[in-house]
Amino acid sequence: MNAFGLAPLILVFPVIGLLLNGFFGRRFVDADRKTGEKLSGGFASVMALSSFAIAVLMFFSLRSHEFHAEVINLFNWIVVPSAKLQIPWAIQVDTLSVTMMMVVTGVGSLIHIYAIGYMHGDPNFSRFFTYLNLFLFFMLILVTGNNFLMLFVGWEGVGLCSYLLIGFWFDRVDKNGLPMNANAGRKAFVANRVGDLAMILAMILMFWTFGTLEFNTVFQSAVELFEEGHMVHFGLFSATLPAVLTAVTALFLMGAAGKSAQIPLYIWLPDAMAGPTPVSALIHAATMVTSGIYLIVRSNVLFEIVRASGELLFGIVSSADLVAYTGAATALVAGLIAFTQFDIKKVLAYSTVSQLGFMIAAAGMGAYVAAMFHLITHAFFKGLLFLGSGSVIHGMEHGHHHLAHGDDHHDDDFDPQDMRTMGGLRHKMNSTFIVYTIGALALSGIFPLAGFWSKDEILAHGGEHNFAVYLMLTIAAFCTAFYMGRQLQMVFFGKPRHAAAEHAEESSPLMVIPLWILAGLSVVGGFLLNLPFLTESLAEANHNHPTGIFLALEGWLEHSIQAFHLSEEGIVHLPHTPIVFSPMVAGLSTVLAVGALLLAFKLVYRDRPQTADERDPLEKIPFVWKFFAALPFETLFMKGFIPLFNKASHWLGHTLDGTIWHDFVHERVIRDNFVGFASFSADVLDTNGVDGLVNGSAKAVKRLANLIRRSQTGYARNYALSVFLGAVALVVYFVYMAN
Amino acid sequence: MLTILTFLPLLGVAAILLLKFFEKETDELIRRIALGTSAIVFVVSLVVLIGFDTSVGGLQMVEHFDWIPSWGISYYLGVDGLSILMVLLTSFISLLAVAASWTAIKTQVKQYYIFMLLMQLGMMGVFLAQDLFLFYVFWEFTLIPMYFLIGIWGGSNRVYASIKFFLYTMAGSLLMLLAILYMGITNNTFAVPDLIAGREAFADVQNILFLGFAIAFAIKVPIFPFHSWLPDAHTEAPTAGSIILAGVLLKMGTYGFIRFNLPLFPGAAAHYAPAIAVLAIIGIIYGAIVSFPQKDVKKLVAYSSVSHLGFVMLGIFSLNEAGIQGALLQGVNHGLSTGALFFLVGVLYEQRHTRMFADYGGVWKAMPVFSVLALIVTLSSMGLPGLNGFVGEFTILLGSMGAESLGPNPWIYTAFATTGVILAAVYLLWMFQRVFMGPLDNPENKKLRDLNGRELAIMLAFLLFIFWIGIAPSGYFKLMDSSVASLVSNIGSSLVVMP
Repeated sequence: MNAFGLAPLILVFPVIGLLLNGFFGRRFVDADRKTGEKLSGGFASVMALSSFAIAVLMFFSLRSHEFHAEVINLFNWIVVPSAKLQIPWAIQVDTLSVTMMMVVTGVGSLIHIYAIGYMHGDPNFSRFFTYLNLFLFFMLILVTGNNFLMLFVGWEGVGLCSYLLIGFWFDRVDKNGLPMNANAGRKAFVANRVGDLAMILAMILMFWTFGTLEFNTVFQSAVELFEEGHMVHFGLFSATLPAVLTAVTALFLMGAAGKSAQIPLYIWLPDAMAGPTPVSALIHAATMVTSGIYLIVRSNVLFEIVRASGELLFGIVSSADLVAYTGAATALVAGLIAFTQFDIKKVLAYSTVSQLGFMIAAAGMGAYVAAMFHLITHAFFKGLLFLGSGSVIHGMEHGHHHLAHGDDHHDDDFDPQDMRTMGGLRHKMNSTFIVYTIGALALSGIFPLAGFWSKDEILAHGGEHNFAVYLMLTIAAFCTAFYMGRQLQMVFFGKPRHAAAEHAEESSPLMVIPLWILAGLSVVGGFLLNLPFLTESLAEANHNHPTGIFLALEGWLEHSIQAFHLSEEGIVHLPHTPIVFSPMVAGLSTVLAVGALLLAFKLVYRDRPQTADERDPLEKIPFVWKFFAALPFETLFMKGFIPLFNKASHWLGHTLDGTIWHDFVHERVIRDNFVGFASFSADVLDTNGVDGLVNGSAKAVKRLANLIRRSQTGYARNYALSVFLGAVALVVYFVYMAN
Repeated sequence: MLTILTFLPLLGVAAILLLKFFEKETDELIRRIALGTSAIVFVVSLVVLIGFDTSVGGLQMVEHFDWIPSWGISYYLGVDGLSILMVLLTSFISLLAVAASWTAIKTQVKQYYIFMLLMQLGMMGVFLAQDLFLFYVFWEFTLIPMYFLIGIWGGSNRVYASIKFFLYTMAGSLLMLLAILYMGITNNTFAVPDLIAGREAFADVQNILFLGFAIAFAIKVPIFPFHSWLPDAHTEAPTAGSIILAGVLLKMGTYGFIRFNLPLFPGAAAHYAPAIAVLAIIGIIYGAIVSFPQKDVKKLVAYSSVSHLGFVMLGIFSLNEAGIQGALLQGVNHGLSTGALFFLVGVLYEQRHTRMFADYGGVWKAMPVFSVLALIVTLSSMGLPGLNGFVGEFTILLGSMGAESLGPNPWIYTAFATTGVILAAVYLLWMFQRVFMGPLDNPENKKLRDLNGRELAIMLAFLLFIFWIGIAPSGYFKLMDSSVASLVSNIGSSLVVMP
C-alpha cells in the first residue's frame, strides 16, 4: 500500500482551516461565544489532526515502499527558460521529512486542542486559530519541499507567523507605555531576516554551482563534482568546490542561527515569550525554532564534503566544526543565563536556546541522527513544559482575579509569570505539578526519561569526536538540571509567596489532557525511538524486515542521511551513520544531572526565597550572576546597535537627505543660482547686449526657418500631428485657465 | 491595434468635453466616462496580450509609416517581450487609479479626468514607440498632465512639488534629446531597430551618448543621487497621482535603460555596469535607511521606491537573462505593491486628512479588513516568498551573482544588495506597527470606517496579481523570455567584437 498521491493533502487541510476561520470564524464566535469558540477552535484542531493522519499515512507508505524517497510534483513555480532557472512546487516524502511532518502535526494538534482552553474568552479567538493553521501550513511547506527555495518559503512563512503570533496582543503596552508585543514581534522578524539574507546568498551560490536547487540533484552533483575535483565557474568567477561549499555551509549556519536562535542572533527568542503561551510551546520550542537543525541535517552531504575536504573558513576553522562550536557555546551561555531569570517562561526560553544549541552542536559534529533524536524528544518535553507553564500562569491569573474581586487587595503591578510570587503550587495544581515535574526531569536528562537518551547520544558523540564541544555541553547539561531544579522549587514547593498563589486553581481538562499525553511521550519517547544499545540489531532487523512495526530512529533516518568519509581512494560511503554509546559518558552525565537537581532543589533554593522580595541566593556570586543576569548579547544589541542605527538613519534621513541634499544643494545652490543667473540675464545682459543679440538672433531665425521648411513636406499626416499637438495645447490651456 | 490602444483615451477626452452639448454635465457622468474609457483600454491591452506570440523575440503588431521622411522620422509602434508587461501594467494601474479617485477628487472633476486620460495616452505611447523621435514626444508629453495633477489636486505644498518635478525631469531629458538628434542625424533614421543595426556608426562616441540617455532615465527611475524630486512629488500628489507615479512613471526610466541603453550602446553599458550597479546598491541601502525615520507615511513609501528601484537597476546591469527578466518583473511588482500602498494611505487620508504616523496607531482594531490587506501588501513589498516581490528580487539577485558585467567577484555586489532584505523588514514593519499596532488611543481613529465595496474591489484587483505572480510567475517570464534572450545575445555578440 502506498498513498503518496495524498501527500499534498497535508498542506491542503491547514489552508481550509485558515480560510474558513479567517472568513467566518469571527462571525461564529461573535454570534455565540460558547459554541462559536468550540466550532472555531475545534475545526482548526480537526484540520491539524487530519494533517497528522496524512503524516502517519506517509509513514506507512514509506515503510511499504522500502523507505525510498518519493517526489510529488505539483506545478511549476519560477521558470525562466533562457536563464535555465526552474523551480517547482513539489513535495518530497522521505524518512526525514516524514519525521518532521509527524512531529509538527502531532505536537501541533495537541497544542491546538490545548489552545481552545487557553484562549477561551479572548476577543480575537478565531484569529488566533487562523494564525495557528497558517503556521502549520508554512511549517509543512518547510519540511515537505523538495528544493531549497520551497524550504525558504516555509522558512520565511513561519517567521511571519511567529511575528503575527508574538504580536497577537499588539495593543498591549508595558510599564513605559511601549507596545511590547508589537516590538517583540518586529525584533523576531528582523533578527530572522538577518539569517534569511544568508539563506538567499547560499541558495544563489548553489544555483550557479549546481544549476538547480532541488535537494537530490544538488547533493548528487555535489558528490560527483567533489569526487572528480572540478572547479566551479560562473560568470567570471571561479573557485574550488570545497571553497564554495564552505561559503554555503557557513551561510547556512548564519541562517540557522537566526531561525534556531543561536549566538549571536538568539536575542529575539526570549522576547518572543510575550506571545500567548501555546505559541511559545508550538513555535518557539517544538517546531519552528528547530528549522535550522532540519536545514543542516537535510544538507548533511554538503557539510560532510566540507569536513572531508579539510577546507577551512578564512583559514581558521572548518565551517562544519564552526557549527559544532556555535551550538556548544550557545548551549552553555544560554544555560547560564537561564538561572538568572525570574520569569517562568523566560527560564524556559533560555533553556530552549540552550537545547537548540545541543542539537546544532550535534549536527555540526556529524551526529545528524542524534540531533534529530533530541529535536523530537525536545518537542515532547519542552512543549509539555511550556504548556505546563501556561497552566501555571492561568492558575495564577485565576488566583489574582479571585483576589481582585474578593476584597480590595488589588495591585496592578502583579506579574503572573514571576516565579518570585509563586510557591507551593503543588497543592493547588496537582496535575500540572506532576506533568511539569516529568517534563523537568526529562529535560534534565534523568534516566529513563526521553531527554536522557537523546542528550546522551549527543554527549557521547562529543566525547568521541570533539572534546571541547563535549566539555561545554556537559557543563551546559549541568546548568540545565540546575535551573530546572531551581524552577521546580520556586514554583511548586515551599510556601506561597503571594496571595494569588494561595488562590491558584487547576486549569480546565481541555488543557490538562494534552499535558498528560505529552508527559507520556516524554517518559517513553526516548526509550522507544532509540535504545542506543539495541540500535545495531534493530537497524539490521529493519533491513531484514522492512515492514517491522518498530523502527529505531537510526535505521529509519539512514535512508535520508548519507554518511561518508574521505579516504585516499576518494569518498567512501558508509553503510549508515555510526552510532556511539558510552556507558562512562552516560554515567557521568547522569550523576551530574542528579547532582545539579539536588544541589538546586535541596541546598540552594530549599525554602528560599521566603518572600517575594527576597534576593536570589545566587546573587551573592558576583561574576556569574552579574554577567549573565545582565544579558550580554541583548544589552549589546539594545543599547549598542539599535541606538546607533537610529542615530545613523536620522542623520541620513533628516540631515543628509533633507537639510543638505534637498534644502541646501537643490534649493540654495541650484535653484537660487539659476534664479540669480536668470535675473542677471534679464536685467544686465538684455539691456546692455541687446544689439549683438538681435543681430545674432536674426541669423538664428533664418537658419531655423530653413530647418522648419524641411518639415513642410506636404504630407497630410504631418499636419495632422501639428493639429493634434495644437489641440492638446489648447485643451491644456483651457483647462488651466478654467480655474 | 497599438494605435487604437494608445489613442483610445482621446475618445474619452472628447466625450467628456462634448458632454455638455448632449446631457447635463455631472461629475458622476464624467467619472463614469473616464472609468469606462480606462476599462476599454484595459480590455484592448488584453486583446494585444492574446495576440502576442511569446516565441518571437522581435517586435510584433508593428505599425510603421513615414512621418517626416526627410529627417528619417517615422510613426513606428510595436510591442515585444520588453514592453508587453509594461503595457499591461499601464492599462491596469490607470484603470485602478481612475477608480481610486472616485470620492477623493471633489474639485474640477472634469479637468482632472481629462488629465488622467491624457496621462494614459502618454505612458502607453512611451512603451510602444519604436522611433526615438516619437518616443521623445510621448516622453515629454507625460510631464504635462502629471504636472497639473500634482499642481492642482495635490497637497499643501503642491505648486513647489509640481514645478520641481517638471524642471528636474525636463532638465534630464534635454541631454537625451541631444543624443537622439545626434544618432538620428548620423544614421538618418530614428527607428530604433535600424539604429541598433547601425550602431557601429556612433560606436566611437557611445559612452557620451549612453550618459545622455542614462541621466534622463536615472532621474526618472530615480537612481541615487537623483531622487530628490521623488519624495516631494509623491507626498504632494493626489492618491491617484502617486499610484501612477510609482506604478508606471518610474518604470519608464528602467524601461528606457533596457530598451535603448543596452542594445544601442552595449559597449558603454558593459563599461558603466559596475558604476551603475554601485549606485543601485547605494540606492537600495540608502533608500531603506532613509525610509526608516520618516514621520510621513507617504514619504516613507516614496523613499522605499528608491530602494526597490535600486534592485531593478542592479538586475538590468547584470546584463544577463535572469537579471533583466527579474528587473522587468520587479518593475511590475513594485507598481503593484507600492501602488497598493499609496492607495491604502489614500483611504486613510480621505477619512483622517493626515499622513503623519503620530496621528495613527492601533488602526487594526478599527479597520480589521483594511489592516489584513495592508499587511499582505506590506509583506509583498518586503519580498515575502509566496508573494510577488520575492520572485522579482530573487531573480535579480540570482542574475547579479552570475553577472559577467560585474567582474570576477560579483558576489560582493549581491551580498551588499541582499542587505536590502533586512532593511526592508526594518522600515516596513516599523511603518506597519506605527499605523496598525499599539493601542487605539486616538478618539478620531476609533471612528474610522473599514473598506467600502469600491475600495475592496480595487484592493482585490491588486491582491489577485500579488498572489498570482508570487505563486505562479512562469507565465510572466514566458512573455518576456524570447525578447530578453535575444537582447542579451545581441549585447553579447557586440561585446565579443569590441576590443
